[in-house]
Amino acid sequence: MIEGLYQALTLSTLLWLTVGVMIGMIVGTLPGLTATMGTALLVPFTFALPTGEGIAMLGGLYVCAMFSDAIPACLVNTPGTPAAMATAFDGHPMTLQGRGQEAIVASCFSSALGTVFGAGCYLLLAWPLMAIALKFGPPEFCWLGVFALTIIGSLAGDSILKGLGGAAIGLLISCVGISHGNELSRFTFDIPPLQGGVSLVAGLIGIFAIPQVLSMVSELRRKEFIAEYKPKSGETLKTIRKVMEHPWHVLRSSAIGSFIGILPGAGSPIAALVSYNEAIRWAKDKSQFGKGDLRGVTASEIANNAAAPAAMIPLVTLGVPGSSPAAVIAGALMLRGLNPGPELFQNDGALVYSFGWSLLFAGIVTFILGSLFAPLLVRIIRIPLRLLAPLIMLLATIGAYAIRNNIFDVYIMLGLGVFVFLVKRLGFHPGPIGLGLILGPIIEPSLIQALYISDALGVGKVFFTGTINISLIVLTIVSVGLVAWSRRKDAIQERESTSAKS
Amino acid sequence: MKTQNKYLSRGLLGVVAGAVLAVSGGTAMAGAHGGKYPNKPITFIVPYSPGGGSDQQARRLQPGLEKALGVKVRIVYKTGGGGAVGFGELWRSKADGYTISNVVVPNIVIAGKKASVGFKAGKFSYIGMTERAVGALMVPKGSKLKTLKDFIAAAKANPGKITVAGVGSTGKVNMAALGSILNIKYTYVPVSGGVGKMIPMLLGKHVDAGMTASNHAVKHKASLDAVVVAGSKQIPALTNVPNESKWEYMTTWGVMAPPGTPADRVKVLSAALLKATRAPSVAKAISNGGYENMYQTPAEAAAYIAAAVKKFGN
Repeated sequence: MIEGLYQALTLSTLLWLTVGVMIGMIVGTLPGLTATMGTALLVPFTFALPTGEGIAMLGGLYVCAMFSDAIPACLVNTPGTPAAMATAFDGHPMTLQGRGQEAIVASCFSSALGTVFGAGCYLLLAWPLMAIALKFGPPEFCWLGVFALTIIGSLAGDSILKGLGGAAIGLLISCVGISHGNELSRFTFDIPPLQGGVSLVAGLIGIFAIPQVLSMVSELRRKEFIAEYKPKSGETLKTIRKVMEHPWHVLRSSAIGSFIGILPGAGSPIAALVSYNEAIRWAKDKSQFGKGDLRGVTASEIANNAAAPAAMIPLVTLGVPGSSPAAVIAGALMLRGLNPGPELFQNDGALVYSFGWSLLFAGIVTFILGSLFAPLLVRIIRIPLRLLAPLIMLLATIGAYAIRNNIFDVYIMLGLGVFVFLVKRLGFHPGPIGLGLILGPIIEPSLIQALYISDALGVGKVFFTGTINISLIVLTIVSVGLVAWSRRKDAIQERESTSAKS
Repeated sequence: MKTQNKYLSRGLLGVVAGAVLAVSGGTAMAGAHGGKYPNKPITFIVPYSPGGGSDQQARRLQPGLEKALGVKVRIVYKTGGGGAVGFGELWRSKADGYTISNVVVPNIVIAGKKASVGFKAGKFSYIGMTERAVGALMVPKGSKLKTLKDFIAAAKANPGKITVAGVGSTGKVNMAALGSILNIKYTYVPVSGGVGKMIPMLLGKHVDAGMTASNHAVKHKASLDAVVVAGSKQIPALTNVPNESKWEYMTTWGVMAPPGTPADRVKVLSAALLKATRAPSVAKAISNGGYENMYQTPAEAAAYIAAAVKKFGN
């Protein structure tokens, strides 16, 4: 491990790592350019470099993109990658209150914390954590998805029914296309491009960016800018202190992010959502969540960054990548004739460890660059709305197209965007719809597989035995119960206060 | 202060606009026309998730293809529906030689049998098959079903209680063939997205066994045991694993283009593919990986598919 540290600490490794981080900054900021696409575009350039430097650059890009996707999420309410959806819930309200710089600096610092924690897990606990993660089979994944759905309770706004409705719409949209396992077409209405399903990235851009643009246009007469912004000096230190006021919160978010990152197939978006939900559950004062609570931003950003190095753990221990960018990095290694997995760990342990250290340093470099650029980045909100709205529209369109080079995805994005803009006026929140879109591909295949396994072993044994299953079920019931209880309490209080007034 | 703000926001606009140009430049390049083929990047669709056999095939061939064709080859993943999503995507792509994909036989024939998938396996423009592997039934290390005898005995003692994972309908057909030879009953569990997704399920012992191919058995030798392989002979890289000669199942990987791709472009692609597969490093990687090397012309590949359609298409 120490040998790996020496390898990672060379000037050229740090230099290429920084280049990767800078590219990641751009990739993450632009909606539609995901970390997967960024790393894939960068792979050919890394062949000119030695292996250690090459994968350090790819890792730097991945880590930084998990931070910079928070920039558009906070400033213009459009997550740069699916992993930043939960960041927008509190980050954008903060911007609207003139706390844009605080939100960006907090994201950046949280990302660094999360990355260092995740990389620490990679360096110290890769094998034992992987052994636990392997206990997650189809029924466990299914329950994890169901548990993550309980976040609706925190996202739904005034009506829990509309929240459930929104999530149902999202889940249904995620079912479009050829089904998992038995190759049947669903909801395709004989439109061939729908066979491939609705792209998650294009869908999320539609749900978040388009309604944002439309409401900017409809507010043009009343508002010239998104929000006020005055650069403040000393903001960085002040924000760091604020984040560190909640050490237990930081630790919890890091642990959740790292563990969910290790589960093959779950990834950063789920890590951020579960962490956000837990942040609300454990907070004493829940009233400010969704209205600009700093802890909402840090919960999401710590977790989605911790998940990035953690997603490399199944790659180096089992030879199975834990996320799509990890898969691209696996491909880059295989092209060099290396077989990522237990074999590589044995034959070239120094390389495996130096990669872990590189990921850790990438978090630190991300923080340095991010906090330096934060005052500049926040100025995006000083672009007049009449310029900003078409600019976001342009970026959204290019992003939706670029994800699969398919114009049909642009139509889907526009259609969903207009739909969400309209239902928003009926009190639906885009959050639950996005949640359904993200969780559908986790819940559905695992549910189907678990049901097949039930044919052999029985439903009760598959779904309702095992520590993990039981824990997730209990957590789900407790979550639902707590939401129902607190909503009832709020309703009674409100009734009392209105009757007191009259 | 106000003017300074203005300049800053303009500068920022410039940065954003530059980034937009950079991104759209990439896509605009893909729209260039005319001239010699190929003169712009080629998209290589991988219909199975990263880490699986198709991904490895594409990644192995990518440098050789790029060198032979003189343009970039971009790999994109279009996964789902047991490969049907990616095959369908290629079916609908422009037949200009700028979009190609893996073909996996018999997966494409089995997935293409359902009318709703919208493509016909026999109609693509095939460039050539590059390697094949025989079916392999695998169990995690330490399993009680490690030998074929134990596996059969356990399946007969508890009919339908043993779970076997496989990729989509293809794995189902493959396992059904072995099941009828061994005369056993089991429960099939379909995995979507490829073998990459099945390995953790096996390692975590969430299913008893997995239906894959000899190449995966070689790659994961350290953590998984092969119970039996298909075909008339043993696999050199898998000593002590018995073969079942009545079980003829074989997975073949190749490269194909959309139906109706012009013959001259197919010819260019075929020459590049043969060059890439014959490169000593690639040829060695294939044979060491538990595969058999194949070098086919487009006509031979089309005949190979036609035979598979005849065998699996009904």
